[in-house]
This record gives sequence, structure tokens and C-alpha cells, in this order.
Amino acid sequence: MLVDAGFVALPIALVVGGYVTVASFVGARLHAPVLVLSARYGMMTVPLLLAIATLALVYAFVTHDFSVRYVAENSSLALPQIYTWVALYAGNAGSLLFIATVYSFLTAIAVVGLSRKLPYTAPYATSVMALVMAFFLGVIVFLANPLERLAIAPLDGQGINPLLIHFGMFIHPPMQMMGLISVAIPFSIAIGVLLAGRGGRDEWVDLGRTWGMVSWLILTVGLLLGSWWAYTILGWGGYWAWDPVENSALMPWLAMTAFVHSIMVQKRRGMFRMWNIILVSVAFVLAEMGMFINRGGPVPSVHSFAQSTMGWVFLGFMAFTLIAALAAFVWRIDTLKSRERLDSMLSRESAFLTQNVLFLAVAFITLWGTIYPVFSEAASDEVITVGKPFFDRVNGPILLALVFLMGVGPLLPWRRANLRNVLTILRVPLAGAAIAAVALIILGLREPLPILAVAVCVIAFVAVGHEWMRGSRVRHRRGESYPLAFARLLGANRPRYGGYVVHLGIAMLAIGAIGSSFYAVQRDFNVSLGDTRSIGDYEFTYVDFGSQPFSDRIEMMARFNVSREGSAIGSMDARRTFYISHEVGATRAAIRSTPIEDFYIVPSEFGENGTAVFRVYINPLVWWMWVAGFLFVLGAVLALSPRRRPPVPATLPLPKGVRLAGV
Amino acid sequence: MKTTVSSTLIPLSAFMLFLAAIMSFTFACASDKELPVLEARAQEINKTVMCPVCPGESIDQSQHPRAKAMRGVVDEKLAEGSTNDEIRQFFVERYGPSVLLEPPREGLNWLVWVVPPVGILAAAVALYFVLRLAVRPSRRTGGSPDDGVALSEAERDDYFLRIEAALASDSDGERPPQAVSDTRDAGEAVAG
Repeated sequence: MLVDAGFVALPIALVVGGYVTVASFVGARLHAPVLVLSARYGMMTVPLLLAIATLALVYAFVTHDFSVRYVAENSSLALPQIYTWVALYAGNAGSLLFIATVYSFLTAIAVVGLSRKLPYTAPYATSVMALVMAFFLGVIVFLANPLERLAIAPLDGQGINPLLIHFGMFIHPPMQMMGLISVAIPFSIAIGVLLAGRGGRDEWVDLGRTWGMVSWLILTVGLLLGSWWAYTILGWGGYWAWDPVENSALMPWLAMTAFVHSIMVQKRRGMFRMWNIILVSVAFVLAEMGMFINRGGPVPSVHSFAQSTMGWVFLGFMAFTLIAALAAFVWRIDTLKSRERLDSMLSRESAFLTQNVLFLAVAFITLWGTIYPVFSEAASDEVITVGKPFFDRVNGPILLALVFLMGVGPLLPWRRANLRNVLTILRVPLAGAAIAAVALIILGLREPLPILAVAVCVIAFVAVGHEWMRGSRVRHRRGESYPLAFARLLGANRPRYGGYVVHLGIAMLAIGAIGSSFYAVQRDFNVSLGDTRSIGDYEFTYVDFGSQPFSDRIEMMARFNVSREGSAIGSMDARRTFYISHEVGATRAAIRSTPIEDFYIVPSEFGENGTAVFRVYINPLVWWMWVAGFLFVLGAVLALSPRRRPPVPATLPLPKGVRLAGV
Repeated sequence: MKTTVSSTLIPLSAFMLFLAAIMSFTFACASDKELPVLEARAQEINKTVMCPVCPGESIDQSQHPRAKAMRGVVDEKLAEGSTNDEIRQFFVERYGPSVLLEPPREGLNWLVWVVPPVGILAAAVALYFVLRLAVRPSRRTGGSPDDGVALSEAERDDYFLRIEAALASDSDGERPPQAVSDTRDAGEAVAG
């Protein structure tokens, strides 16, 4: 029953989406408020329709209704009950439905905000959002309907990809998909502004920034959760492999990061109007690219569970987006001219622009490396691989430059700086970095690259810390206690200090990445039950082995007693599950995580008579990367929290006796 | 007063955070972790060779039987005295160039290596000219007489306080938004 209702709801939603696309645009062009209003209400019905379809699919999974083809293909009776609730995005069609549903809710929220804050732009932006919606619904209805029935229902399903049976399944895929599709909202707003011809008014900046930040945050959390998942289940001690699908999720993140920064320049200075629209369009096209690569794109990947041939439909839509956005841009380019000019080559504005260019550079290098194999094969029939070593080597230095800019950029004054005052501002952070570098050398580190990299991160740490201290001190002098002064400081300029919190998180992430990429230790050990081995400061004894057969899998567990520098840490369990039907083994590493380092044991192989092969890693500083995730959320929420007054323009009345240069 | 205690605690939190990070960094990394030379070399090679049946994964990462077998080959060849490049070459001959995770620097494949730095260079040049063009023409030639008028710390703090006070004077219990940082910005604009 419910499944049938969902099956009917999908085409209805498609029709509504198509109607809204046309009605909203035509209504706005012809000044027909009735049409515009009908479109807006239409947009509100789509989430309801899609919620029915999604609920129907979840219901089919939970009740093991194998008459639904998608359920039969992506679950089985042996699937642990709890995972039936999330199996809907284990495959292609269900993922698309999930994306469309999430997107429909986001658009409903966005449409409300738009019609209140940007009444002239809203109909156009709504039309663009609905067009994207209609595309997804079209694909679902005609190419990949997850609610399609089988003529004869099988007794049991084919089962799920075993790697997906992990706690991460509940959070990473939905976050990632939501992140990618959420880029469509700021994109639609920007294109809506263009179509409405109101790009010169900068009125969309606040809403665009808000949605840009929301989208950025979701993408960030999605990426981190994916890394964490890979770290705990793939069993290779790493968290980022520059896999094509990872890359395709990273690229829109990079462009979005550029956008949420450069939109601030438009907000403060009325500049970068064209650039911001270009950036957000690039971000959306890259997000589509991400969804394309995930749906059976041209490059092989560990994420190939959503494989299908419909990737090419996505490629077509991506091309359409690119051309349409470009056409809208060219059509309205005269509305985007800014009369503001830069005052100096060296200023906050130019730092922002440099940052943007570097982020785009990383994005395009990543794109280049990801698609180069396809290109090479077409050009010379030679199949080659572009993997982790390439990306580490090429992107590493640029990312480091970005961390440097992250430390320095926020300290630069708007409008103009000169070398002398820049050096004055940088005195403290640079001194901190120098002290840190010397400390590292004294403590015995010799490799120049990680020392430099850490020093660069320290610049960012000190820059933020110094700013906070100075601000709190000034408020303190006015009679506030230090904690209050600090809290009020953060509260007084939330976009700025929220950004600083995020910057701290990025510096922590970088520290973790540096530590674990330069100083990780790994070894393989052949052991029998009762053996003790040592690595680094750690000693571990393989004390117990257990195995338990299930209908579809065998779960094996190894237990270790671990001690560090002679003092016992306790016991750790590592698991390996072998899925008979899929002939796939999934591992669950035993990880003991501390701020200093992770001790990580993963079973490679269980042999006869209690012998086994274990791989052991000591991964320094990985802990900091996961903690950084909380700072991202905290910082973004702080930066997004509403303010009650309009912002003060960048130029305030000046103290007596000081003239602004050149005015 | 309570404030003297918290004065050392709260604003320094960022510093402590950073200190903790640095400390743990040195603890984690400074300790020398012995690894036999051959094993270290084997890992170095394993990380650059792809497992042919599990796309995208190196034989170091993958737990597939094929990857394990290939790791065995690497160990064997190292014991026989082969160099890293000879071992990689051995795999290339058996599986083709796609077995290397890093494309070989030869022929058409130079492109994959050359495009990024050239692109960056081009972007840097473009950025320079865009900035030059965007700068107000009057500002491009010669400095203005006010160049170099920098506020001292004390002056800046004073300026800060006055703006704070001005914004707080229409107090409705709400904190003045924006004021804090903008003060700095404007103060520094003056400095420029």
C-alpha cells in the first residue's frame, strides 16, 4: 500500500517540479504574481510527496518486502535489523531518492527565506531550484525508480555491500549527499539574482553567505566522517587516499571554501560581484561532477557501489548547467559591474583573491589528476593511474601555502597595507612559528619539510590566539572580567570569530595530517596465540581468538593485551568479518586513540592453528583531526548565528587628528 | 580579585591549545622508531604500486590476496638485492604502466606533471595583472603623504574603546555587533 503510494507520489512530484520551473520564471517575467505564488506553494508540496516515497522505501526495507526490486537487490534477511533503516542509500536509485528528498526540504526552507528577504530574486531562484529538482526526479522516475516492483518476489534479497555495514553508514553517506546537493541552493540564489538583473545591489550577499556556510559545513562534516569511516574500517591505517570519489567530494568543498570567503569581500566592499557568481557556479558544477563520478563515472574507485550507466546523464546535465550559467552570466554581465576599486595590491581583499585562486588551483589540479587517466587512454591507448603519491606531491605544497594564508590573511587590514605595517602585525605569529621550529629541532626532529609545515600551522594558531588575547584585554580594561570579555568578544563579531574557530580547526587538521603522513610507523607481524611482539614504545600479546559463523558471514575476533613503556594499557579487540556471498572481508581495526598517537591493530589474515598476520600502525596526532571536526561545527554555528543589527561599514569615523590616506 | 586568575586562564586558551598540539607533536614524532631498512624500503615501494584487482588501492593498503602476493614479491626481490626502481619496473612489465600509482615521467605522461605547476604560474601571473588593473589608478603611482602613519598599540586600544563606547551608548542591553573587529580594521586602514 505505502509502496504504491510512494510509487505514485514520484511522478506527481516530477510534474510539480516541472510546473514550478516554468511558472515561477514566466510569472516573474510577465509580472504575474498568481503564477509566482502558485509556484512557491508548488515547491512546498514536493517535500511532502517525496517524504511519502522515502518512507515507503524505508518501510519496504524494514519489512523485507522483496517484491520491490531495489529492496531485493540491496538487502537480505540476514541484514542486521538496524541497517534496514538506512539501506535505502546503499545503491543508486535509493541514493537519488534520498538526495531528492533532502534537497526538497532544503529548497522549501530556502524559498521561505528568499521570498521574505529577496522578493524580486525569489521567483527566479525558485525556478532554478525547481529545475535541478526536476532533473533528479526525472532520472528517478524514468531511469532508476527505487519503488519499482518485481513480477515475482524472491524469497531473500541479494544483500548489501558488506563494507557499508558500519556505524558510519548512518551518518557519512547522508551527510555527503546532502552536502553535494546543498551546493545547489547558493547556486540557485546566485543565478536567480543574475536572472532578476539585481546583481549590482549586493542584496543577496547575506542569504548567499548563509547558505554557502550551511553547505560548506555539511560538506566538511561529510568529508571528515568519510575519512573517519575509512580509517576504522578499511584497515590500512589511513584516512585519505585521493580516491576519485574522495576527490570528487573534495572539489566542491574547495570551491565552496573559496566562495564563503570571497562573499565576505562583496559584503564589506561591494567588490567581486562577478567572481562570487562564478565561484558558486563552479562549486555546483563540481558537486554535479561528484555525483556523476559516484554514479558510474569513468574512473574506477573503492566507492563503486552506486555504479550504473546513468553517469552519462549526469554528465549531460553538468554540461547544461555550465552552459546555462555562462549564458545567464553573459546576458546580465552589465548588471554586475562594481565601481569599487582596490586601494592597494597588498590588502585583505587581495589576500582573499589569492586564497580563492589557490583553492581553485587545488580543485583543478585534483580534477586534472582524477580525469587524466581517461584522457591518457583516449589519446594514446595507454592506461595509467594517477594516485596518492601524485596528489600528495602536487597538492601538498599548495595546501600548506593556504594554511599560511589562513594565518596571515585575517590580520591584513582592509583596503590597504604596506610592507611595514604587515611586518608589525606579523611580528608575534612569526616569532611563535620560529620558537616552535627551534623547539622541534632541539627535541630531535630533523626533516625540514614537516618542521616548516608545523611552523606554518603555528602562525595560524598564534595569529588567532593573539587576536583573541588583545581583544579580551581591551575589554578587560573597561572593567569586564576576562572570561566575560572573551565571551563578549566572540559574541560581538560572530562571523569573524566563528571563522577564527574554524581556522583553529583547520590548523589542527593540518597538524594531524602532517604528523600522520610524515611519522606513521607500520609493521606486519606473523604471530601465534600467546606471542608477544613490540613496536615503538608498545608491546602487545595476542591472547585470544574467537570466531562465530552466521548465515551470511563469519565474524572473527582477536584480543590483545597491550602495554606502553611497560605499563599496561588494557585489552584491545580487532575484528575481521568475512562475507561468504560477496567473498569480501571487512575489518574493524582495534584503535587506541590519544592526542599523542593512535595505536592501531588490524587483522590481515587468520591462519590454521591460531596463527595470524596482524598489521600494526602507530599513527601520530590523528586524534586532532577528529577533534577539529567539532571546532568546524562550533565555528560555523557561531558564524551563522543571527545578529540583530545591520553590520557597520568598513570605514568608521576616525579618531581625531588622523586622516585616512588619500581621502 | 577573581579576574587575575582567569586573566591567565581564558585568553591563553588558544595558546595552550597550540602548545598542547606542539608538545604532542614532538612526543609523537621525536621518538625514534626503529624499522629494518629492507622493511622500510618495502613499504616505500608498496605505497607506489597499485593492486591490479582493487582499483585505486596500493598493495600496501589492500588486504586482497593478490596484493599480499605482490608484497611477498617485493620482499623477495629486495632480499635478492634489487633496487626500488627495478622492482617497480618488474611490475610494470607484468601488469602495464597502470600498476604504478604515480604516472611514469615519460612521453605524454609528462603532461600530468607539467600542467599543475604551469597552471599555478599562469594563475599567479593573471592574479598579479588583475590586481594591478583593479587598483585605483591614482594609488598605483607614488605613495600618498599619509603612508606609514601607523597607530601605536596604545592608540589603537584607545580608538577601540571609543568606538565601543559610542556603540554601547545606545544601549538596550544588547552588545554592539561587529564593532570589535571593525575597529581593528578601520584602525589599520588608517595605518595604511
